[in-house]
Amino acid sequence: MADAEPSLDVARHLKYWKMCLQYPLPDLYLSNETNRIALAYFIVSSVTLLTSSGPASEGSPKPLIPPEHRKRLREWVLSHQHSAGGFCGTSSLVPPFRDYDEWDFDQGTRTAEHTGLANLAASLFALQLLALLADDDDPEGAFRGVDRVQTLRWLRQLQRDDGSFGESRLQLPGRGWFIGGGYDMRYCYIATCIRWILRGDVREGDAAWVEDFNTEKLVQYILDSQTYDGGFAGSSEEEPHAGYAYCAIGALTLLDRPWEGSTAGHASRLHQGIRDKPGLVHWLASRQFVYLLPLGGGAAAESFDRDEDPVNFVLPAALGDLALDENTRHVGFNGRCNKIADTCYCWWVGAALANLGRADVVQRAASRRFLLERLQHRVGGFGKYPGSPPDVYHAFFGLATLGVMGEPGVKPCDSSLAVPVETVRTIEKARRGLLKTAGRGGAAGSLAQGLLDMGLAVRGTKPGWLAAVGG
Amino acid sequence: MPPKGKAAPKPKGPDTTKPSSSSLTAAAQPASSTATNNTTPPATINERSQRRVDECQPYEAARQKAGLSGLSQAEQFGWVSARFARSDAAARSRLGPKSQRELWRHVNDASLPVRVLKKKLVSNPWGVDRNGRDVGSYSPAQFDDRAAKRITLTVLAAASQAFRDRRERTKRIALEDQQNPDVVTDSEVQEEHERRREMATLRKELYGDKMPGKLAQDPEWDDVVPIPHEEPEGSLAAISYPEDYAEAISYLRAVMQNKEYSPRCLRLTEYIIGMNSSHYTVWLFRASIVIALKLPFVDELAWLNKVALEHLKNYQIWHHRHLLVENYYPSIAGSPEAVASFAAQEQAFLSDILEQDTKNYHVWSYRSYLVGKLGLWDSAAELAAIEAMIKDDVRNNSAWSHRFYLVFSNPAHSTAGTAATEPDPAAPTPIVDREVQYAQDKIHLAPQNQSPWNYLRGVLVKGGRKLGSVEPFVADFVRHLGVDDKEDVISTHALDLLAEIYAEKGDKEKADLALRRLGEKWDRIRIGYWEWRRKCLESPAAAAGGTEAGVAAAVAA
Repeated sequence: MADAEPSLDVARHLKYWKMCLQYPLPDLYLSNETNRIALAYFIVSSVTLLTSSGPASEGSPKPLIPPEHRKRLREWVLSHQHSAGGFCGTSSLVPPFRDYDEWDFDQGTRTAEHTGLANLAASLFALQLLALLADDDDPEGAFRGVDRVQTLRWLRQLQRDDGSFGESRLQLPGRGWFIGGGYDMRYCYIATCIRWILRGDVREGDAAWVEDFNTEKLVQYILDSQTYDGGFAGSSEEEPHAGYAYCAIGALTLLDRPWEGSTAGHASRLHQGIRDKPGLVHWLASRQFVYLLPLGGGAAAESFDRDEDPVNFVLPAALGDLALDENTRHVGFNGRCNKIADTCYCWWVGAALANLGRADVVQRAASRRFLLERLQHRVGGFGKYPGSPPDVYHAFFGLATLGVMGEPGVKPCDSSLAVPVETVRTIEKARRGLLKTAGRGGAAGSLAQGLLDMGLAVRGTKPGWLAAVGG
Repeated sequence: MPPKGKAAPKPKGPDTTKPSSSSLTAAAQPASSTATNNTTPPATINERSQRRVDECQPYEAARQKAGLSGLSQAEQFGWVSARFARSDAAARSRLGPKSQRELWRHVNDASLPVRVLKKKLVSNPWGVDRNGRDVGSYSPAQFDDRAAKRITLTVLAAASQAFRDRRERTKRIALEDQQNPDVVTDSEVQEEHERRREMATLRKELYGDKMPGKLAQDPEWDDVVPIPHEEPEGSLAAISYPEDYAEAISYLRAVMQNKEYSPRCLRLTEYIIGMNSSHYTVWLFRASIVIALKLPFVDELAWLNKVALEHLKNYQIWHHRHLLVENYYPSIAGSPEAVASFAAQEQAFLSDILEQDTKNYHVWSYRSYLVGKLGLWDSAAELAAIEAMIKDDVRNNSAWSHRFYLVFSNPAHSTAGTAATEPDPAAPTPIVDREVQYAQDKIHLAPQNQSPWNYLRGVLVKGGRKLGSVEPFVADFVRHLGVDDKEDVISTHALDLLAEIYAEKGDKEKADLALRRLGEKWDRIRIGYWEWRRKCLESPAAAAGGTEAGVAAAVAA
């Protein structure tokens, strides 16, 4: 089989994303409602990965997200910010539902009600969206309006005693504060992302100083979650999972990632602490398998039922069969041993290895072919399984994987922050912008400031002139 | 009998032109005997109205057809008399008293209508129905049916209002007397619910009103003002919500705002979970309600079992279960019997659900949590359940992982704080032997199945044994390594482990050969990995170092 190498049909993918951008998503996405902001991130991030940057030249098509819309979209993202820190995941549940109610006239603040509505994942996606939607001529202003201090304080409150993180924090009636969310490595990873995005190189005494969470405890928690077979799970008591392995490695990578000008593959000192690093690489390398078409031919039947696992993990009749070239044409990735291939594991495994500096372990050409020939959908986007219809989650991770592998037509993607590399630069500038204004007018001391704050809080929006001066 | 012309000698003001129902009937009276009579019943309400208008003006139709001069003298006289009879007093006064008397006599004799129906100015005085059809175009039978429905609706609305008033009144009284606030009986509420459903159906039928949502119709929710979400302009990733869902969320917003923890809110969470089981906020709200109302955890768990089986892939269900058990456990911790009975119940449920979805990550995570929480380390049932699952599917890696945890994290024979990848001197030799044997037996069933190979290696490390201790077993799966034509590999995992065993013994050459053959022939897709392993043999530093050069090399490849 001497087929030509497939290529990525950028126009077709953009068509898919245009549809996602301009029309409401079908109610198939209802289960993602509480993390609607994640869906927005998948869409905007994908559009950015596929759109060339810089000023539009004469005659070039109008960008899918016109520069004049970015400010409005950023305001929408900011409307999810919770006064007690963090961002809410969906526009339909953002406090306060009624004005004035939660205003504490003595303190000049809102009481922290409904804190459980803000969650960790939404907060990361909101920040990434703000950076993705930055104005070209004002990257430093991308995080204007983000309550950096409150969000970092809230982040600290989400850490449990054992070093791990939950996803939200709320008061259970009569039982005090409760950190919601299971023991899930994703939260640990997201906490390090938010920390890297917002914290910056600050020292005690600086105007921008905020107390850090306990990074040592977090590192210990992560390192202790390696399993007997080299992988990582939510804890060492569970089965290892590629998503969690990515998160564990990503968290370590980000915890000592330099604040400026770094790449995802920086030599993380913290990786040295991984107890069985060869075991980890072995486990990740083992996630690749030769994808054979199921007997009966063809890809799995199209199915909108996302819960259904089609049979796409066919074992070879004999090992020698795999030695033939044509059979190694497609290499898929699974998330756990003896499980089936799924688009997103191309990312979780590929990006995890890239973060470890071991991208050479990935069978690049064959996994690229698997993405383009088996998972790419005819309407654009990528599906979860071969033959599945596209969805924004898998379509994004398909592109991001190609972005990490250096695909022409896709912008380089940062394997630890999951945004285009150019957006990482924007994040650095936006962070600088936040740190510059830190301490200025932050603490509402005067009555006038208090009244102004209340007025703004009650009204829900800020007047343009105030936003323009960084208020 | 309504008054005839005789009854109206007095001059009437302009309002006489507005037909009241009695004048309408009165005016119709002479129709049966006049020229416009029509024996067929009117086909539509508009036609009936037109006939009534015509009947008020007995000679008008003929006049319009033939002109006044075309009428007979008697007809002409009748037409003129009718005109005068209904004209205003000022006009009649010009006739003089005698002529007027004669006029009235004639009007009486001929039973001429003294009041007339004017055609309404609006084109469809009866309004339009839900489809935009003119109700005037209905047949009288259809019209009567519609009228009957409107009456029914009015009656129902009155009864509904009476229900609300009664409930308000009794609630007030009950509050004053500090009595039981259950002011209306369940059957009354049920009746009202039925009534509203009927009203909504009628409103929809009559006027095309949108059926109100389930909650808006439910008397139980009358006192809650829903807070609907309005989608702002310039938003991203809006989801087309089903209407029921949008309604439910608008009520959720309202009750969450008021921090209402009540049975009806519990039902609301169930309703929303039925539509979107991944709504973490609703689950947390539900947990708050269960705790605030001190509802029995066992009831909530029983309910949760049902939901879990309906939504197999859902994560929130297991978080909720975890939270419940955390809150429930302290109440049974003192009683080993209670713990054992709870454990048995949970194990039975877990077996049920794993039968349907054998590798469900959330279920397995919960299972390992339960082992630690309830101390099921020495539970024969737990080990037997896992063994049965591995027997059923030797490739079920979830079951293998659970087994490792169950066997080697048992506090009775493990050292606290020892990592899973580290040797533990407390691991008893018989158990390590047993597990090595177990893994080997399972490898024989499917040599290319990686799960038991990983397990075997994990057990050897945990037991502090050399990998070489299983060399004879492993070597059996690799024949004539490096010998042209004769080389045969039954399991790449065996060859992989063999490479490690050779390296462990210091035989770099053979280790390198094994790795090279894996990349060249037996496991080509991992050639990048096997090459890296070969490099590690040369310089162990490569194993530790992840470098940017690695990325660069990969991109260049």
